[in-house]
Amino acid sequence: MRRIFLVLALVCLSFAAQARTDVTILARTCNNCHGVGGVSAGASMPSIGGLQRDYLRRVMKQWKYDERSAITMSRIVKGFSDDEIDALADYFAKQPWTPVVQKTSPEAMDKGLATVSKICTDCHGKAGSDPDVDAPNLNGQWARYMELELEKYRSGEFKMPHRKMKKAIHEASPADAAAAARYFGAQSK
Amino acid sequence: MSSIDRRNFLKTLTAAAGASVLSIPKAWSASAIKARVVVIGGGFGGATAARYLRMLDPGIEVTLIERGTRYTSCPLSNEVLSGSRDIKSLQAGYQGLARRGVQVVHNEVTQVDPVGKKVSTAEGNSFSYDALVMAPGVDFDYGAFKGLTAELSETRLPHAWKAGPQTLLLKQQLEDMPDGGRFIIVVPKGPFRCPPGPYERAAQVAMYCQHHGKKKSKILILDSNDSFSKRPLFEEAWKALYGYGQGGMIEWVAAANGGKVEEVNPSAMTCLNGFDEFKGNVINIIPPHRAGKIARDAGLANFKDAWCAVKPENMESTAHKDVYVIGDACVGGDLAGNNAFPKSAHMANSQAKIVAASLVAKINGMPQPTPVYTNTCYSVVAHDWGFSVVHLFRVENGQWVYIKEGSGISPVTFGTKEAPRPVPRIYRKMEVDYADGWLRNILSDGFS
Ligand SMILES: Cc1cc2nc3c(=O)[nH]c(=O)nc-3n(C[C@H](O)[C@H](O)[C@H](O)COP(=O)(O)OP(=O)(O)OC[C@H]3O[C@@H](n4cnc5c(N)ncnc54)[C@H](O)[C@@H]3O)c2cc1C
Ligand code: HEC
Ligand code: HEC
Repeated sequence: MRRIFLVLALVCLSFAAQARTDVTILARTCNNCHGVGGVSAGASMPSIGGLQRDYLRRVMKQWKYDERSAITMSRIVKGFSDDEIDALADYFAKQPWTPVVQKTSPEAMDKGLATVSKICTDCHGKAGSDPDVDAPNLNGQWARYMELELEKYRSGEFKMPHRKMKKAIHEASPADAAAAARYFGAQSK
Repeated sequence: MSSIDRRNFLKTLTAAAGASVLSIPKAWSASAIKARVVVIGGGFGGATAARYLRMLDPGIEVTLIERGTRYTSCPLSNEVLSGSRDIKSLQAGYQGLARRGVQVVHNEVTQVDPVGKKVSTAEGNSFSYDALVMAPGVDFDYGAFKGLTAELSETRLPHAWKAGPQTLLLKQQLEDMPDGGRFIIVVPKGPFRCPPGPYERAAQVAMYCQHHGKKKSKILILDSNDSFSKRPLFEEAWKALYGYGQGGMIEWVAAANGGKVEEVNPSAMTCLNGFDEFKGNVINIIPPHRAGKIARDAGLANFKDAWCAVKPENMESTAHKDVYVIGDACVGGDLAGNNAFPKSAHMANSQAKIVAASLVAKINGMPQPTPVYTNTCYSVVAHDWGFSVVHLFRVENGQWVYIKEGSGISPVTFGTKEAPRPVPRIYRKMEVDYADGWLRNILSDGFS
C-alpha cells in the first residue's frame, strides 16, 4: 500500500512538474532574443546554446534573487520557478556551442591578443574556448555583447558577484578590454 | 484510467523526461502530408507561425498567403524618422520561409469560408485547410476622424503606423518643417498596436529637431486617452533630453484636457477637439484600429465588433473551430485584471509559437502543451537612451493569468524609497543596444 502510494506520489509529482514546465515551450520564448537553439543573430544579444549548465543556472538564479544586476533578464527570470530555471539551463546546455565568428582587423586582433595573453588567458583559455569551471565560453560570442558585459563589470552601478572577474577587468583599460572582446569574438574554435 | 488516457499520460511523462513533445513516430514521418495549414498574413505573427510549423513537423503542408513581397518591421521604425536607422534594416523577405518548404503565395485573401474550410484569393485561387492561422494585423478606421480618408493618409496626413512608404513620407515632412514648426501626433483611443509607440515617436522627432537646426520646434501629442504605457520613463526622458510640458519641446495633452481630436482639416492643417483648433506644420494622425478586414469579414471579430476573441490554451477562435487568430487582430490576456495582451511584435511571435506547438501536438495525437505567453517591448528615445517593458502570462484553469513577478518596466528610480536617486545613464544606454539585438533576432525567428 505504501509503495503504491509512493509510486502514485512520484507520478503525480512529475505530472505537476510537466503541467508547469514544458521546457521546450519555455525555451522557445527565448528565441526572439537569443536565436533558435540559443545562437543569437544580433550583436548585442548573447548566444546561450551550449554554455555550461552550472553557469546558466547560476546567472539566472542570481538575477532572480537580486544578487546580480541586468537590464532585461532580471525581470524575465523572476516569473520562473527554480525548477523551470534548472530545466532551461539543462536545455540550453545540451545545445551545441556555435561560435558566430566575427571578422576584425589584424591590428585589432594583435591589440586584443596582447591583453588576452596578459590578463585573461588564465581563466578563459587562449581562445576563450577553454574556460575555468565557473566562466562561460567566449569564443565566437558576440563581441558587442561582451563589450557591454565588460562595461557592467567595470561600472560600480551593477551588482556583478564574481569578484575575480570584477578584479580582472580593472587591470585592463576600457579600450584594451574592448579589443580583447573583439579578439574572443573572432575565434572560431 | 482508460487506455487512451493512459497512453496520453505516458506520452506526457516521456515529454517531462526531456524527450521532445514534437518528435514524430517514424511510421508517420514517411507518410504523405499529415495536414494542411493555411496562414493568412506574413507579419511577425503569421511568418513565425509558418516557420515553426515547418520546423516542428515537416509533414505538415503550410501555405502562407501575404499580399506584400517584402515585409517592413514597424518596431524601431520610429528611428527612421530621426535618421538613426535606414528603413532597409527593418526589412525581410520570404525566401527563408520558402526554403523551409512553406508555400508562399503573394496575393490578397478575399474570402474565408470557415464552414467549408477554404480560403480564396483575389486571383481566384482557393486553398482548403485543416487548420487556418489568421494573422492579418490591424485595419485603420479612417472614418473615426471627420475629414480623414485613407488617401489623405497616403499623401498629406500620414499615420506611418504601418512601416513603409508612409514612414518615409512623414520623415520628408519632418525634414521640410521650418524651425519653430509644430509637429502634431494624434493618438487614437486604445487599444492600438505598440502602446508606447506614439510617445517613442515624439522623442525621435524631438531628437531630429535638436540635431538638425529645429530647436525651436514643438511636438504636440493630442491623446484620446488619459495615460500611457511606461509613462514615468517617458516623462523622465522627455524632461531630461528635450524639455517637457509648458515651454518644453514636447507637450502632451490628455483626453480629459482637450486632447481628444474629432476632426481634421487638411487644407487649413488643423485638428479640432470640438472646442479648440490646433494648427500644425505636420499632422501625424493615427486612426483607431480594428482587426484586419479579412478577419472581420470571416466573422471572427466577436469582441466589441472589432477584435477576435480566442481561447487561452491555444489561440483558437471562439467563433469558428480550427481557426486560430494571432497577433494584433486578436484580443487576449487578463482582461478582467486590466492586463490585456499588448499588441506587439513580440506578443505576435509568442502566440505564433503556441499555435504551432498546439497544432503539431493535435495533428500527431499528442497531449496539448501548457502555454506561456511573453512580451518585451523596447522603446528608444535617443541614440543613447532606451527602456523596456516585460510581460509574462500563464494559463491557469483555462484563464489567462498575468504574472506580476515576471513583468514590469525598466527601473524608474534607484536607491531606497526614502532616498531615491536617478537610474544611472548606463542602464538607459544599454537598452538601445539590446533593442537592436532583439530586432535582429525576432526578424530571424520569423523569417529565416
Ligand atoms: C511605430 C510602431 C512601433 C512599434 N514598435 C514595436 C516594438 O518596439 N516592439 C514590438 O514588439 N512591437 C512594436 N510595434 C507593434 C508591431 O508592429 C505589431 O504588433 C506587429 O506587427 C503585429 O504583427 P501581426 O503579424 O499581427 O501583424 P502585421 O505585422 O501587421 O502583419 C500582418 C500582415 O498580414 C498581411 N495581410 C493582411 N490582410 C491580408 C489579406 N487579406 N491578404 C493577404 N495578406 C494580408 C499584411 O500585408 C501584413 O503583412 C510597433 C508598431 C508601430 C506602428
Ligand atoms: C527581450 C529579450 C530577451 C529575452 C526574451 C530573453 N533574454 Fe536572456 N538576455 C537578454 C539580455 C539583454 C541579456 C544581457 C543581460 C541583461 O539583461 O542585461 C541576456 C542574457 C542572458 C544570459 C546570460 C548569457 C551569458 O553569456 O552570460 C542567459 C543565460 C539568458 N539571457 C537566458 C535567457 C533565457 C533562458 C531566456 C528564455 C527564458 C531568455 N534569456 C530570454 C535578453 C533576453
Ligand atoms: C580570475 C579569472 C578571470 C580573469 C583573469 C578574467 N575573467 Fe572574464 N570571467 C571570469 C569568470 C569566472 C566569469 C563569469 C563570472 C560570473 O559568473 O559572473 C567571467 C566572465 C567574463 C565575461 C562575460 C561573459 C558572458 O558570457 O557574459 C567576459 C566578456 C569576460 N569574462 C572577459 C574577460 C576578459 C576580456 C578578460 C581579460 C581582460 C577576463 N575576462 C579576465 C573569470 C576571469
